[in-house]
Amino acid sequence: MGIAMTDHTLSLFQLCDSNFPTGAFSHSYGLESYIQEDQVHDQATFSEWLHVYLNEQLVYADGLASHIIYEALENEDFQKVWKIDRMLTVQNLPRETREGTQRMGERMLNLVESLYDMPILLQYKKRIKEKQSFGHPAIVFTMIGHHLGVPQSTTTLYYLYSTVSSLVQNAVRAIPLGQTSGQKIIQEFQGILVAATEKIQNLDNEDFGIISPGLELSQMKHERVNIRIFMS
Amino acid sequence: MKDWTGELRLDLEERLGKTVAKNVYFQGALKVMRPVYHDDSGQVCYYILNPGGGYLDGDRYHLHIALEEQARVTLTTQSATKVYKTPQSYAYQETEIFLKAGSYLEYIPDPLIAYQHARYKQKNVIHMEKGATFLYSDIITPGWSPNGERFSYDKVQLINEIYMDDELISFDHIKLNPATQNIEALGFMEGFSHLGSMMVISEQMSPDLLDRLYHALNSKTNAYEIGLSLLPVKGFTLRVLANLTQTIEQLFTECHCMISEEWFQKRPSFLRKY
Repeated sequence: MGIAMTDHTLSLFQLCDSNFPTGAFSHSYGLESYIQEDQVHDQATFSEWLHVYLNEQLVYADGLASHIIYEALENEDFQKVWKIDRMLTVQNLPRETREGTQRMGERMLNLVESLYDMPILLQYKKRIKEKQSFGHPAIVFTMIGHHLGVPQSTTTLYYLYSTVSSLVQNAVRAIPLGQTSGQKIIQEFQGILVAATEKIQNLDNEDFGIISPGLELSQMKHERVNIRIFMS
Repeated sequence: MKDWTGELRLDLEERLGKTVAKNVYFQGALKVMRPVYHDDSGQVCYYILNPGGGYLDGDRYHLHIALEEQARVTLTTQSATKVYKTPQSYAYQETEIFLKAGSYLEYIPDPLIAYQHARYKQKNVIHMEKGATFLYSDIITPGWSPNGERFSYDKVQLINEIYMDDELISFDHIKLNPATQNIEALGFMEGFSHLGSMMVISEQMSPDLLDRLYHALNSKTNAYEIGLSLLPVKGFTLRVLANLTQTIEQLFTECHCMISEEWFQKRPSFLRKY
């Protein structure tokens, strides 16, 4: 029994690590509004929020985008990639989450560009510089997953995992929760993430960008939060 | 796809300071009343009518609205859009809007009322040139149900796609699914029953105006919650969760008044409904 060097899953793990500096630690995507209103205050209420955020927002935006982008990369349909980059940005109506996501996308792109020699990363960067594209971490992540030959559903699953695990870290700091509670939520969400990834496989392109009113409102309201530890 | 239940086409242009119709066409279960000029600004107001009295199973509506340069138009409905139960297939409405530079469209339909087991999908596609101004609002409300359920409709889906000079600049996709979602819960409607959305796009929009709108509309109350945010182009979205249509309408009217006074030095006309 040996470890196959053709399996590049470990390389994709590097991007999931909470130490991978994309700035995810400074975004709560509206969670901080709920914390300040005391609607999210413990493990159970945070888990409820995370459930809705994952299943009612993330799957229709980042998750479905990852699925579509992977396929577009397979087909070398780069116009589709840039189209999704624009759709992901303009469907994000709350300014803070939109701009925060763009910054994270750019930071991630700059980082992976020093790790991987891939023409598409350079092209993405150039398009952002020329204001033709915006930048999104789900797209950069999927580009790397595709490049490494990690299957599409695994790439999507790991992307969702990295987002959820950063949010758990943020909740541990902000609510605050104990580290053990945090790990319990990450464990609880393993099955939920697999189910979310399966749901994404069955979504139609027409489902793109569906938002949930309460979540979006909390993201808009965050702009007016005075004392804050997160940028969104 | 053809065979629309109702079709409406309105092409409008500015002629000697007055906005007039270049082309009006309607057939089936959609029609438009005679144009009304509420003041001497030249801005025209059209009321859209659904003579059928409501959207039924499998109904399909198509609207096409085009404004030439400098045309100024208020578009509204005569009464609420009522969607009844749709056992076979959902009711659908598609609206295409074309706005030339310098034109102004305020599209303020009455609320959508979705009754028990109603399924409705609406798609608005707006193509605007830079320099056009667009103000839009909608309100989703649950209709009365025999067993007193707050959300007895099955699905309401609203899509707004806005293009400026052929580039997508805003994509708004709401899909409320009380049949499968825990609609009252955190993250969804959060204890409210009505959802209002307003979107405004104009070269005159500024972060300062957004702040003033926020301070005028926001208050410590249990009656509603608002969210207000700038778009990636000059413009903003306003979302309201509330329990009454009037609450949302008051907020939208206040917002509309502030914008109208600031940009056009006039108050919006009171839209008389019979």
